[in-house]
Amino acid sequence: MRTLAAQLVCAAALAGLWEAVSRLGLADPSLLPPFSAVCVALWSMLSDAQILADVRVTVIEVAVAFLIAAPLALACGFFLGEKPRWGEVFNPIIDFILAVPQSVFLPLFMLALGTGYSQKIVFGVTHAFFVIAVNTVAAVRTVPRSYVLLARASGASRGQIYRRIYFPAMLPLVLTGLRLGMIFNVTGILLAEMFSSRHGLGRLIFSWGESFQVTRLLAGILLVTLLTIAFNEAMRAWEVRASRGQSAGIAA
Amino acid sequence: MSPVIEARGVGRVFSHDGADFRAVEDVSFTVGEGEFVTIVGPSGCGKSTLLMMLAGLESVSAGECLIDGEPLRGPQPRKIGLVFQDATLLPWLTAAENVEFPLSLSGEARESRRNRAAALLKLVGLEAFSGHFPHQLSGGMKQRVSIARGLVRDPRILLMDEPFAALDEQHRMKMGEELLRIWTETRKSIVFVTHSLNEAIYLSDVVLVMRARPGRIVDCIRIELPRPRRFEMLGGEYVGRVRNRIWELIAMEVT
Repeated sequence: MRTLAAQLVCAAALAGLWEAVSRLGLADPSLLPPFSAVCVALWSMLSDAQILADVRVTVIEVAVAFLIAAPLALACGFFLGEKPRWGEVFNPIIDFILAVPQSVFLPLFMLALGTGYSQKIVFGVTHAFFVIAVNTVAAVRTVPRSYVLLARASGASRGQIYRRIYFPAMLPLVLTGLRLGMIFNVTGILLAEMFSSRHGLGRLIFSWGESFQVTRLLAGILLVTLLTIAFNEAMRAWEVRASRGQSAGIAA
Repeated sequence: MSPVIEARGVGRVFSHDGADFRAVEDVSFTVGEGEFVTIVGPSGCGKSTLLMMLAGLESVSAGECLIDGEPLRGPQPRKIGLVFQDATLLPWLTAAENVEFPLSLSGEARESRRNRAAALLKLVGLEAFSGHFPHQLSGGMKQRVSIARGLVRDPRILLMDEPFAALDEQHRMKMGEELLRIWTETRKSIVFVTHSLNEAIYLSDVVLVMRARPGRIVDCIRIELPRPRRFEMLGGEYVGRVRNRIWELIAMEVT
């Protein structure tokens, strides 16, 4: 509770500093409008049907991409983790691809898929897939063999071993993977929107920057920040619950 | 009456990179009703492999294991309770839930599961810790929970794989004493694997001495000490002689 209070004080201090620096003319107000002005802009954006339509486009793209990437990556990761021979071949490949900055592929995707929804969604999927898969492989690998032996000695069926041992043992790492996957997913989709789109929050933010509407630009950034923090914290709360009793470090 | 456990010429060969490793070879022994048998030997002599075969978790390459006169095929959760070296409690379950775990697999009603777990935690002296998670328990307490879990289905046999190896000397002695009390109350047939000579002699009716490469039984010693056992017996002349006899058999392999 005290930690939370301290964090809120820090956030408030930062907002206050922002406000003061701008109001006192210590920073160019045309580049850094006051925090309060940005908040007002954000509030008016939330009642602007045009802008809300763009936000909806982005949220739907993010959701669809995640719903495609997550099950696919979980299945692949589980398979590669459970089948060491396949894993030996494919895990290094997945690790290599994960290490490549995905943004270099954007021009290629634009050529292949145009600038419509499918391109955004595919770009989000490729961003999210690899990090979720890598974490799932790691999660399978960390299920202690002794737990499986214990379950077998206790009369567990194969299904029970997966449900009662694998699932809870893997959950904390899998949730970490999903959380990171969502961050990558949002990054990919906003990036694709900025460079090649007529719709979406990314396109809006980019165009506000181009047309020097700094207050709205910052309000857009603030909106993305709030949305991602909300999702991230929801996932983290689940992680903490899932890792009850397990090494506390996982959720930290 | 047939023995509760019988090993008949049991062997296990592991093949690795084309080379055969004879982990256990031609092991035969019996364990009677309510008998406490210890397998003692240096690390790598195959004693844990042997125990896993008795538990039905490891297949045999030769011979067979019989439980109540019937050949063993796979795990026998109703007949055999197993206690692992490192307690192996599931970290996402409380102490009581860990004890209930085997019952929950067979779909037993929650109410009777709870009662059974509570009774067993009481037996091992942990009734006040049923809601604790494993990371909140000491090493000795974890092993007590593990023993309670091994007993939860009221099996006739308890197989224990170096259960106190991770404990310090004091806790180890204390747990040995506790185990004898539980054994006296429940009258299980116990096979107990250890590398501690004192522990083996203090606990057992019979000590089986194993040697490595290939893992085999080289001696079978009936411990002629009265029950209940007391710590001071370990200082006696008889125990000294038995200890020396075992030590001479395995000393050359302890490196």
